[in-house]
Amino acid sequence: MQTQPQTLARALAHEEAKLLACIHCGLCLEACPTYVHTGDENDGPRGRLYLMRAAEEGRLAVASPAFERHIDRCLGCRACESACPAGVEYGVLLEAARADIREHGERRSHTGRLLNFTLRHVWLHPARLRFAFAAARVFRDAGLARLLLKSRLPRLVSPRFELALALLDSSARAPLNGSKSIAREASHEEGTPRSVVGKNVGGAESRPDEPRAAQLFEGCVTEGLFARVNRATARVVRVQGCEVSAPSGQVCCGALHAHAGDTEGARTLARRNVEAFESAPLAPVVTNAGGCGAMLKGYGHLLSDDVEFADRARDFSARVRDVSQQLAATGLRVGAPIDAGVTTYDASCHLLHGQRAAEEPLRMLEAIPALRFVALEGSDVCCGGAGVYNLLEMELSARVLAEKLKHVAESGATLLATGNAGCHMQIGAGARLAGMELRVCHPVELLDESYRRAGFYDEEIAEAEGSAKQNP
Amino acid sequence: MTRVRLPASLRISAVVPTAAMRLPKTATAWALGRCYDYSRNGGVVYHLRESPGKHFRAPPEASLLDQLLENLRAAVGRENVLAARDELLVYECDGLTQHRHTPRAVAFPASTEEVACVVRELARAGVSFAPRGAGTGLSGGALAVGGGVVVELARMRKLLRLDVENRVAVVETGMINAQVSRAAAAHGLYYAPDPSSGASCTVGGNIAENAGGIHCLKYGVTTDHVVGARVVLSDGKVVDLGAAGAGDSVGYDLLGVFVGSEGTFGIATEATVKLLPLPQSVRTLLADFADIDDASRAVSAIIAAGLIPAALEMVDGATIRAVEASVFAAGLPLDAQAALLIELDGLEAGLDGEAQRAEDICLRNGARGVRHAADERERKKLWAARKGAFGAMGRLAPDMMLQDAVVPRSRLPEVLAETYRISAKHGLILANVFHAGDGNLHPILCFDRRNADELRRVECANREIVETCVRAGGTLTGEHGVGLDKSKYMPLLFSENDLDAMLAVRAAFDPTGLCNPGKIIPAPRGCGEARVVAAASSGNQNAAVDNGRGEAHVAHEEAAGEVENEAGTASNFLADEITLVNASASPVDDARAPLVQRRVAITNDIRDAFRRVAETEEDEARGGALVVSPASTDEAAEVLLVASREGVPVVPEGAGTWLGDDQTHARGCVFVSTRRLSRIVAHSPADLVVTVEAGVPLSALNEELARAGQWLPLDPPGGAGTSVGGVVATNTAGAHGSAYGTPRAFVLGMTVVLADGRVVRVGGRVVKNVAGYDLSKLFTGSFGTLGLITEINFKLRPRPEREATLRANAETVDNLFVAARGILRGEFLPVALDVRASGAASRQANADPAPRFTLLARFAGSARTVESQLGRARGLLGEGESLSGVEVVEDDARLWAEGGESNSDEAQHIELKVNVLPTRLRAALLRLEELLGASAALDNWGANVAAGRLRVRLYEVNDPAGCVDALTRLRAGLRAEGGSVVVENATRDLRDVMDRIGFDQWGMSDERAALMRRVKLRLDPRGLLPRRFFV
Repeated sequence: MQTQPQTLARALAHEEAKLLACIHCGLCLEACPTYVHTGDENDGPRGRLYLMRAAEEGRLAVASPAFERHIDRCLGCRACESACPAGVEYGVLLEAARADIREHGERRSHTGRLLNFTLRHVWLHPARLRFAFAAARVFRDAGLARLLLKSRLPRLVSPRFELALALLDSSARAPLNGSKSIAREASHEEGTPRSVVGKNVGGAESRPDEPRAAQLFEGCVTEGLFARVNRATARVVRVQGCEVSAPSGQVCCGALHAHAGDTEGARTLARRNVEAFESAPLAPVVTNAGGCGAMLKGYGHLLSDDVEFADRARDFSARVRDVSQQLAATGLRVGAPIDAGVTTYDASCHLLHGQRAAEEPLRMLEAIPALRFVALEGSDVCCGGAGVYNLLEMELSARVLAEKLKHVAESGATLLATGNAGCHMQIGAGARLAGMELRVCHPVELLDESYRRAGFYDEEIAEAEGSAKQNP
Repeated sequence: MTRVRLPASLRISAVVPTAAMRLPKTATAWALGRCYDYSRNGGVVYHLRESPGKHFRAPPEASLLDQLLENLRAAVGRENVLAARDELLVYECDGLTQHRHTPRAVAFPASTEEVACVVRELARAGVSFAPRGAGTGLSGGALAVGGGVVVELARMRKLLRLDVENRVAVVETGMINAQVSRAAAAHGLYYAPDPSSGASCTVGGNIAENAGGIHCLKYGVTTDHVVGARVVLSDGKVVDLGAAGAGDSVGYDLLGVFVGSEGTFGIATEATVKLLPLPQSVRTLLADFADIDDASRAVSAIIAAGLIPAALEMVDGATIRAVEASVFAAGLPLDAQAALLIELDGLEAGLDGEAQRAEDICLRNGARGVRHAADERERKKLWAARKGAFGAMGRLAPDMMLQDAVVPRSRLPEVLAETYRISAKHGLILANVFHAGDGNLHPILCFDRRNADELRRVECANREIVETCVRAGGTLTGEHGVGLDKSKYMPLLFSENDLDAMLAVRAAFDPTGLCNPGKIIPAPRGCGEARVVAAASSGNQNAAVDNGRGEAHVAHEEAAGEVENEAGTASNFLADEITLVNASASPVDDARAPLVQRRVAITNDIRDAFRRVAETEEDEARGGALVVSPASTDEAAEVLLVASREGVPVVPEGAGTWLGDDQTHARGCVFVSTRRLSRIVAHSPADLVVTVEAGVPLSALNEELARAGQWLPLDPPGGAGTSVGGVVATNTAGAHGSAYGTPRAFVLGMTVVLADGRVVRVGGRVVKNVAGYDLSKLFTGSFGTLGLITEINFKLRPRPEREATLRANAETVDNLFVAARGILRGEFLPVALDVRASGAASRQANADPAPRFTLLARFAGSARTVESQLGRARGLLGEGESLSGVEVVEDDARLWAEGGESNSDEAQHIELKVNVLPTRLRAALLRLEELLGASAALDNWGANVAAGRLRVRLYEVNDPAGCVDALTRLRAGLRAEGGSVVVENATRDLRDVMDRIGFDQWGMSDERAALMRRVKLRLDPRGLLPRRFFV
């Protein structure tokens, strides 16, 4: 196959060593949600890596529709990385492939073009982004989204529009209280001995050398639609004896840009974040969104060719922690029982595979006494959200989501905790559209509620109250 | 016979074999060059099957290709066919990236019907195809060479049925291996074969390759666990093979030879697999060694000590370090030169003792330490590390050359040392991670394919390693399959005759040659012209290698293309088809005639001819019939050659226990007795392998083996006087078959003399072997209809320390069946479990009148496990009031020997074998009783409760016609649920009644009978051997 010079896979060529690590054993196949659903090896990690290598070797044109299609159809969940014995850094390669496609691909869909426009002209400008989210919040909190959904009109416009509304609507705060009967049951357990409350769980004792201050990374979607989670995160971390501040210059983490192949956009944002968080160079950078956390951890690689930022970015990435990891490091106090109903946990892919936080989020739930927890079959499998994938590849995303909802229904849970805004909205929206009775929250919201009931915040000074008031 | 009319341009070249042979050398080479080009470009297919003359004139018509694609889309749905070149790229290779062939298209059928439809379309267009599962194979088996179409089963991943009571699962073959165990786990069951790729690979792929895995040392490979398969043949016909868990399969073991046929026989779309109860307890040990020799000596010692670990794996230092750097790190000792992972499982009682023995052996052989996995989590981690080892090699180099040879376990130390020496000689990194307990090596040579010199050295080292293993008495491949990768090595193991026999069987399954061509059998064979081409295009092996990787690759692709192009013709497997087509088209024989054993007048000349080659006598008891007794395989070959030359039908016989009505041929044929083939050729106690001639009585063999504390645990009815050849030829299993295995499970290889006197060696002498088709399976249970077995290699088992039987009686049979199922469900491992009824006849014969119904449960193993099981089983049986005389019989050999039928001719009788699902045994008995009514008394039978096999002896047949009618109706009823009724023996008068009514002794389905007929026609085209199955 003749390859046009202008369609060379430059970004992939840069990562050749990572490509060569794949020896085609195929252990990743079943970990890949898209392969499981289509059975097409082009839609599996091994196949995509093969396409990438072919593109890198010039056997396949980067502009090929097949290449674009199958790279686009990747959720980017990185579950294959956890399955890979050779340690192939799939996430990095995927972003390189997307960067190459973005540079050379010509057949982008309308949706793709709209996404690019938005990422460039809204996301890179904090003021515009804040305005957009404020508008969305007003729309959501006035109940317009819900009203529209109930009217069934959006479905007539387009399924995509309906899903977008459902996603927005599902970002609203869910009541953490379970049904009345469960509440009664739980009230019996109000008498949990006071001696247990406040103890550290699982022997996770606070280490003496642990920094006593942390910086909170707020994230664009989280701060825009889930500000309550950010406040809860701050409170919960503070309760363990660690001061929390949120540097003012921070911007979006750039994950959406990187996943869409806009490496430059991602780098622009990354540089700003690195600078913003240098005010306290030793403090951990705490995130509560799996997607953001994995991206922030990747800054070291993203900026590795930037003379000015390479070292700074590496130092920054080393400081990044999910809130669950932060709590595991500082110790985690046991709160008061809450009556949340049957609760389950679904792992955010980038938290699980990108940051390898498998157990830590569960520790947070274990710190809540008498929580009726059930394990979720396939909790390590992607929900199909994957940033804006659910709006771009609706059909495949819906199939992946349906599988997730089936498992949730089988588990009997009425409350699902998950540590990423995207997953939160995806599962919430799916449940809404499927007519399922399911509430979704962040684990830290549950823990926060538990701590509130335990009275930990009464001991806190007005500062904590102040930040809580901001919570919409 | 329906033949599809093809346009003239698509006539199959193979039907004119001479045309290909006449092709000028240069023209053929040119054609091959084109072939190579095309396959690289994912280009056109048709030229491979069109006439050579046509080939030069015009390219194949694109419209026909488009038509085929349209038809495929119509069959499976538009979105389920890939045909764009860029989307076919990922299908150009499987887990072994050295071999690349881009398919013309990929079709994703979703059901058996769709597969059949796709295959029919392909057959009509004359386009070859290759089935593919997850594409994790390591032999290049799932590639469509020459621009064929890949039939991808990834969308067929449903669990169709889980039968917990009968312990079988019916799955679509696209189902993932690990998912089967996952689905069964809730019921305390699992699917035993566990290849390292188990998390991704499909059951269908496992069947194609006869996959092994880590735990196959104790539990056997895929073929031991697949009991039924629905197969789409290359003409689109669907045939069910095996018995799907209902007792024994009837007729040739077609399933046995299908498993491991690498997709060249057809496409399995559904499979019935055996599930085993999850072991009650497991001990996992990790022994680390500073010296790899010590580790391999420890392996031999463990095997020789009679321990049967569930798994016995070795990882060497290089592997340990690669794995420990991966996500699968499990804390293996980084400074070790080798580590053994040993797993023992079974009942809790006595397991610690076994673990202790294994540990002691390791320490005695120089282990630095032995670590016990503390909990399930640690155990899982250790196995994940082992399974991820191959993938982890990606950390050492971009490319791997992975071998899969098997050597006798006692030769491990020297062979292993030799592999390191060879790789060092060629300056290569070698890592070894393998199934040490099976002697199944996986030497992994690390390289970078972009380095031509390194690639050349890898090729050399690879060949030397393979040759070393074969020289040590081993085989090419133990579980990965031959595929494209190892076909070039096949002549190291097999002669022209052996390969021809394999091709004959392949042609019986796939007369079209469209099923996964180019695999297993080395490319150009049998045709002078093709050989010259091979020499011209690739030089000799070394020359090809000298040219570096690219050239070697070209040579190989050409060779692969040739199979379709030339060798398919040359190797007579398409040419043979003409004979078949003609034969079936001819009104004279109607394809049946050759199967009817003729009778000829045995003249004095003929007698003399036999006398000249072997000892000959005239058996007065059989009216002066000629009995020839060769004393060696060579003599036997001479005998059959004479018979073939003279056109004399021959009947192979061992001890004569199973001859049945073929004795009536006495006057028209010659008996070839294995009586003088009575040597135990070689016994390697350390490898648990023995080679014996077919005439050795089973009892004599076991007496000899007992001296080494080993045995061949077969117990055919008819007593131990039967010759091993007879046991194998009839594949007759007794009470212990369901626990230890039927004869087919013990045959590693054999020497067979075919009807035309050709000597064929199939299988090998190692415990795992997937080099070529498993023809041993075909000859096992063929009742001498396909060839004369002269020598057999058996695998053996250590003799158990103790055997004892628990006996219970009852007046009604139901209670006994309930009790037996209780034992099966509970945590017991009975080696035999029978419910028996002894009728009036045998009660009279015994001085001590036996009770009417008896339950016998035999336990064997270490004294502790037997004791614990006896105690618990006794408690279980004692619970109910209904059973009486519950007692332990210590000296129980007589009890089990007695169970076997005496083939006594004293009275009119008929002996039946009824195969049903184990849970349906009782129902089948009731039904038989009801159907028989007054025509015969049903009071003498034995039911193998675990296998679902019922042997019935009807002594007092008052109404022969009524009795046969009852059997006909029973058979019709059972067929619906997968069961069968076989008449194993009957007195002459009853046989006459059966013949008159038209009751077939076997009662096979038509599709299966047709396939068997094709096999018989290929191997014994003149019908010189007995007909048996073919009436």
